[in-house]
Amino acid sequence: MSAPKLSLKEVGKTFRVRRNEKVQAIDGVSFDVAANEICVIIGPSGCGKSTVLRMVAGLEAPTTGSIALDGREIDAPGRDRGVVFQAYTSFDWLTVQRNVEYGMKLHGVASAERAKRADHFIDLVHLGKFRRAYPNQLSGGMKQRVAIARTLANDPAILLMDEPFGALDAETRWHMQELMISIAEEARTTLLMVTHDIEEALFMADRIIFMSRHPGTVVANIAPDFKRGRRWRRKEEVLELDGYAELERHIMRLMREQSSVN
Amino acid sequence: MTNLRKSNRPTRWFQFRASPPNATVVLLGIAVWSIFFAIWEAASLGGMLSDLLMPSPHHVLTTLINLLSRTDFLWDITASVTRILVSFLAACLIAVPLGIAMGAFGTMEAFWNPFVAAWRYLPAPAFIPVLLMWFGTGEGPKLALLFIGVVFFLITLVMDYTKQVRGEFIETAMTLGASRWQILWTVVVPAVLPNVVVAMRQMLAVSWTYLVIAEIVASTDGIGAMMMRARRFLHTDEILAGVIVIGALGLMFDMLFRWLHRLMFPYIGEQSR
Repeated sequence: MSAPKLSLKEVGKTFRVRRNEKVQAIDGVSFDVAANEICVIIGPSGCGKSTVLRMVAGLEAPTTGSIALDGREIDAPGRDRGVVFQAYTSFDWLTVQRNVEYGMKLHGVASAERAKRADHFIDLVHLGKFRRAYPNQLSGGMKQRVAIARTLANDPAILLMDEPFGALDAETRWHMQELMISIAEEARTTLLMVTHDIEEALFMADRIIFMSRHPGTVVANIAPDFKRGRRWRRKEEVLELDGYAELERHIMRLMREQSSVN
Repeated sequence: MTNLRKSNRPTRWFQFRASPPNATVVLLGIAVWSIFFAIWEAASLGGMLSDLLMPSPHHVLTTLINLLSRTDFLWDITASVTRILVSFLAACLIAVPLGIAMGAFGTMEAFWNPFVAAWRYLPAPAFIPVLLMWFGTGEGPKLALLFIGVVFFLITLVMDYTKQVRGEFIETAMTLGASRWQILWTVVVPAVLPNVVVAMRQMLAVSWTYLVIAEIVASTDGIGAMMMRARRFLHTDEILAGVIVIGALGLMFDMLFRWLHRLMFPYIGEQSR
């Protein structure tokens, strides 16, 4: 077996809430993400799944343990780990084209090369007609597609997504999930994604990491075998597969056990 | 055939949060001023106002037109506008970079804010006596007063607007591999710039307030000085004409900034302007 792309070992995080009072938000989180894999972290709200993602991004530092990408320890944000947030992050003052070129421009990619790469990724997210539009003229789903194209055009080793479709309406959401699967195939993306949507996790994931609360830790590392080891492009096909409902129920029960409401 | 029919929902004068048609907005704007002048004129004609203390509007208007054809008054206007522009430019040159730095970096805020906040609470006109002692009676004390009156508020406004730049923008740039310097120039500055122009527009109005104070207290030229001269000769009509000129100039500068905002930031939707 080849070495994992991303590897988390015994990662923990404590927050200081008051003087002399610490909260162990995350404890002993270990899992690997293989190259070209779509790995989805799911869990009840407050389980620290977003914090795990932010630590992989380098936006927050783990208190204990280690996170390594391609065998190198992570200690700061970097272009090798692109992030798509739930909130819209397309820069208002730049056109779609310039938003997508932004990362490449930072790193001194020549303008002809930049335009060519931007074109490719803008087409990949089906925004060809909106190159010159400003984000303010786009819908929520389109803004997220700009963010995806901008992140991928910067050529990260892994793509991190923090509930990227959480703010979208239900129809746009499944279109985006299907689009994201085809993009991941096309661009051979390694994807680590956080969601609280069980259906989204089952549809998209090659691997599901289930986290519990207080402290946040991995309670189940699930390979969705019902998908027969392949990715399905249409959501309804997945819903029809034998074993889908069973796994959905299983995760829902895990979720309920962990829930504060019950 | 179409099924369209006119809605028979009644149009109401007082509808919550509904903006009336454009033509109505313009008409209502003209109406309030017409009524104001009509009442004033009527009061003058009816002998309720003394001609000495409160001349009628047509009298003031005639005086204004006469004044505008006199070179000494045009010089007064030029002097006032120049004072505004010079002091305001100086205030912006300090306040905008400092405000952005304070809004972007906690250490800059921790260092500068106790200083800036204290100055903001000192009324600028309180410094007039000492400014007169320091700078004599030339342009110095006037420019200094306008500068002091504007700069500390502008710093604070720019700082607050900079703090409102969304954290996700900065984090996105970080994860795209931007250095701190690159984030400052390619994210923070362009993100806050539209609001910097808004802050400047807001503070320019304050600048006019201090201008009149400065010119009334100690000046031989400028619109404020002209009004004080007129007082000595009981020329109430000239004083009121001066008030109108100041109001009109203020309005013009405000419109200039609004126009500039549209021109510079075409990507901002009209509804959020």
